[in-house]
Amino acid sequence: MAKVALEQLNKRYGAVPAVIDVDLAIAENEFVVLVGPSGCGKSTTLRMVAGLEDATSGTIRIGERVVNGLAPKDRDIAMVFQNYALYQHMTIYDNLAFGLRNRRVPEDTIRREVARAAEILGIGDLLARKPRQLSGGQQQRVALGRCIVRHPQVFLFDEPLSNLDAKLRAQMRIELKRLRERVATTSIYVTHDQVEAMTLGDRVVVMRDGRILQQATPLEIYNRPANRFVAGFIGAPAMNFIDVSLARNDGRLAAEAEALRIRVPEEQAAVLERQPAQALTLGVRPEHVLIGDPRPENGTGFDAAIEVTEQLGAELLVGVRVAGTIVIASRIDPWAKLGLHQKIRLSLDPRGLHFFDRESGEALR
Amino acid sequence: MSLRRNGLLARLGEKERFALLLIAPAASVLVLFQIVPIVIGANASFRDWQLYNPKETWIGLAHYRYILSDPVFLTVVLPNTFLLMFASVAISLVLGMALAHLLNWNFRGHTLVQTVILLPQMIAPVIAATSMRWTFNDQFGVVAAFLRAVGYGQISWLAERWPSFLIVLFTDVWIWAPWFALILLAALKSLPREPFEAAQIDATGRWRTFTHVTLPMLRPVIGVCVLIRSIDAFRTFDQVWVLTGGGPARTTEVFSIYAYIETFVNLDFGRGSAAAIVGAVIILIVAWTMYRAVDRLANVSR
Amino acid sequence: MSAPAIVAQGAPARIVGVLAPGGRAALIVLAALAIVLLFLGPIVILVVTSLRPGWAVYYIYRGTAFTLQNYLDVFARPAVVRAFVNSFVLATLATVLSLGITVTSGYMLSRFDGPIPRTWFGTIYLFRTVPYISWVLPLYLVDYYFGVYDTFAGILLPHIAVHICFFSWIMKGFFDGIDPSMEHAAMIDGCTRWGAFRRVALPAAIPAIAALAILSWLYTWNEFLFALILTGHNTALITVTMAQFVTELGTAWNLMSAMAVLAMVPAVLVTVFAQKYVIRGLRI
Repeated sequence: MAKVALEQLNKRYGAVPAVIDVDLAIAENEFVVLVGPSGCGKSTTLRMVAGLEDATSGTIRIGERVVNGLAPKDRDIAMVFQNYALYQHMTIYDNLAFGLRNRRVPEDTIRREVARAAEILGIGDLLARKPRQLSGGQQQRVALGRCIVRHPQVFLFDEPLSNLDAKLRAQMRIELKRLRERVATTSIYVTHDQVEAMTLGDRVVVMRDGRILQQATPLEIYNRPANRFVAGFIGAPAMNFIDVSLARNDGRLAAEAEALRIRVPEEQAAVLERQPAQALTLGVRPEHVLIGDPRPENGTGFDAAIEVTEQLGAELLVGVRVAGTIVIASRIDPWAKLGLHQKIRLSLDPRGLHFFDRESGEALR
Repeated sequence: MSLRRNGLLARLGEKERFALLLIAPAASVLVLFQIVPIVIGANASFRDWQLYNPKETWIGLAHYRYILSDPVFLTVVLPNTFLLMFASVAISLVLGMALAHLLNWNFRGHTLVQTVILLPQMIAPVIAATSMRWTFNDQFGVVAAFLRAVGYGQISWLAERWPSFLIVLFTDVWIWAPWFALILLAALKSLPREPFEAAQIDATGRWRTFTHVTLPMLRPVIGVCVLIRSIDAFRTFDQVWVLTGGGPARTTEVFSIYAYIETFVNLDFGRGSAAAIVGAVIILIVAWTMYRAVDRLANVSR
Repeated sequence: MSAPAIVAQGAPARIVGVLAPGGRAALIVLAALAIVLLFLGPIVILVVTSLRPGWAVYYIYRGTAFTLQNYLDVFARPAVVRAFVNSFVLATLATVLSLGITVTSGYMLSRFDGPIPRTWFGTIYLFRTVPYISWVLPLYLVDYYFGVYDTFAGILLPHIAVHICFFSWIMKGFFDGIDPSMEHAAMIDGCTRWGAFRRVALPAAIPAIAALAILSWLYTWNEFLFALILTGHNTALITVTMAQFVTELGTAWNLMSAMAVLAMVPAVLVTVFAQKYVIRGLRI
């Protein structure tokens, strides 16, 4: 198990940059998730660590070694692919043994390792079958098994759950967490699914257009997003954004938009005062949009008409039209009597207000 | 046949009628030019039918007995045909596979090589054979000049059985290895890359990657290609006719030439037809067997 | 060539070689050279031979006398000119007539399932397997009987039959790759099945039909056995006329090769200009 260090990593395809100035240090046994939309460079970064792509510039270290020029087989890594990439014409046992056999590991050691991996993953009775006969979830477990038997320094995951249906994905997430407890290894996990990122990662790295936008623990990313993109990407339902401008009102700073005036809490007001820009975006997560105004003294109340409701069973989602955009409120009692076109009073939890510079998207804290 | 059609037509839905309509002209052409001639040929094979004296008297299986006991047919023609079939397909496959891998590397100029490879497939087999015949001409051919230059002396390629056979085989491979190459190349390009990357990470050497990853994935395509090419190779005529005419002294004769010679040289239409029928039966059995084997091995169906 | 294109290719292209990069490049160049030599060599030799005057043909690699006289001589022979005209007419007629039939045959095989398509599939497959000689021999007599021996009619239909059996697959393969829901949508929109075929499937199939036309035409142009058996003087075709050249002119390779080179022209044109279409049709 080793640390992985990416220093000023760049990848260009001709003139097109795919990965730009990526700096990432991964501690031993840490599980880091690279997350972002398609084309953000996360897979390319992973493949550079694996040695399947060459870096245009920058250093990749696994342990103390600089591995930039090394072939994948010499980097002591194991990888799980989106399409499982099992060897279709070999039995599961042979699939698991293949990498070890190539490295001339003695057969009894192989038998031991395969048995151990099979026991951890619960695929012991599938060893004689061929991949074709297995379900998607079983195949993915075999792919995981291929990694475990090798005892590599780093595990690499390239969107391993994307090919599974939603229910199976949820199950496999739990399996992955259990696996981590039994086989703790430094891991880099790539996904476009922010739920996977939040639930699996010790640290989450949000990427976009080849750059790292923020790297922090899941809770930190969720509660203190560094910019508007990260704020909107992480969390479901997504954060609400309203374009506002600052104004002084009775000596207090307020964020204003059409038919909306939200008083800025003290700590944030201090920061915002220093901002030269007046054009801001207010971000507030749906769970911080409350039906009713229980604390009018916060000054965060407003009226709006309901435009859409979504019944989820466990909660109700309500969308109201505010300042030209739809704001979603969540965690509402599913039995609440709220109907279309109803005019209601709402308020925002002052602990859940985020301000972003409208131009740069940077969070103002 | 028409009775069946009438009864069926009543029960056929609109969809089936459309399907039948789509192939009606094609089916009529085939019926006229498959069933009718073969029936006529079969009929003739049981009769004494010389082209100059078509008595058409029934002689039963006499022709078949003759052919199946003809030493030329049994010890020369059939072995030649099968040998050509197996050797040509095997060598073309191996060479084609190598070519496909080479072209897959996308080196500069690979499009030129791809174009060059297409040419043997596009020209007439008789022209291919003609150019080979000239190239291997034992006095004036380029190969002869080369042999003289290296001091080897003269090889009379077309004067003996096995050198002639070699030339025929060479020509056939020359024409058909590109066919394998182009089809396998397309197949290679369509393979997913993840298994290969997994093999890379698994420290698999190149040859092992080929045998354990590439080949298994290519098995269906290889199976179909081998099947089709084998069937076609059985009935080779053009190249052999131009290169050797079946000679010297009928030693490179293959089945199609045997039937041709019986009919148009010996002018025995009855016996020629019988030979043609025998060959047809043989290849049908071989094709059926191969189809089953390929189907099982490569999961190819329909 | 952009890197993503490299990445998108089949993986064998990415596997690191055993040799040093320089060594591998040298090996590739050598192999490519050998291949070009092997597959282009005999043809080039033929072309060079056709450009040498008669007396220089015996040592074509020596000397520098080149001439176009052979071509003029070959064209001066009415038999040759007639052969070229006949072959062209036959190939064009056969292709034009078989095109529609083959396209519908392939379409039927693709879109339908059940006993009828399966029987048709088996029939075509059977016809492909039975050796030509088995049905062309009796055809010789049939042609004689109907008085169409040595006429275009006599040899046209066998070629059409082969076109159907060999090339239905191209169209089937192509239609298999097109989503049938478009035709279903057309039928719901008021088309008959035939209308859906004609207005939706057919226009999309033009590239495949081009491949089909080229391959059918070339097949008939290059064909030898039917020509040998079913034609005589009236409908002499180039492949047979060329083979007879050898006895007629002794072994005047300069003239023979000139005629062969001329006969190769369509093939060369197709290879250079229509490569993509042909390769698509070569599968199966």
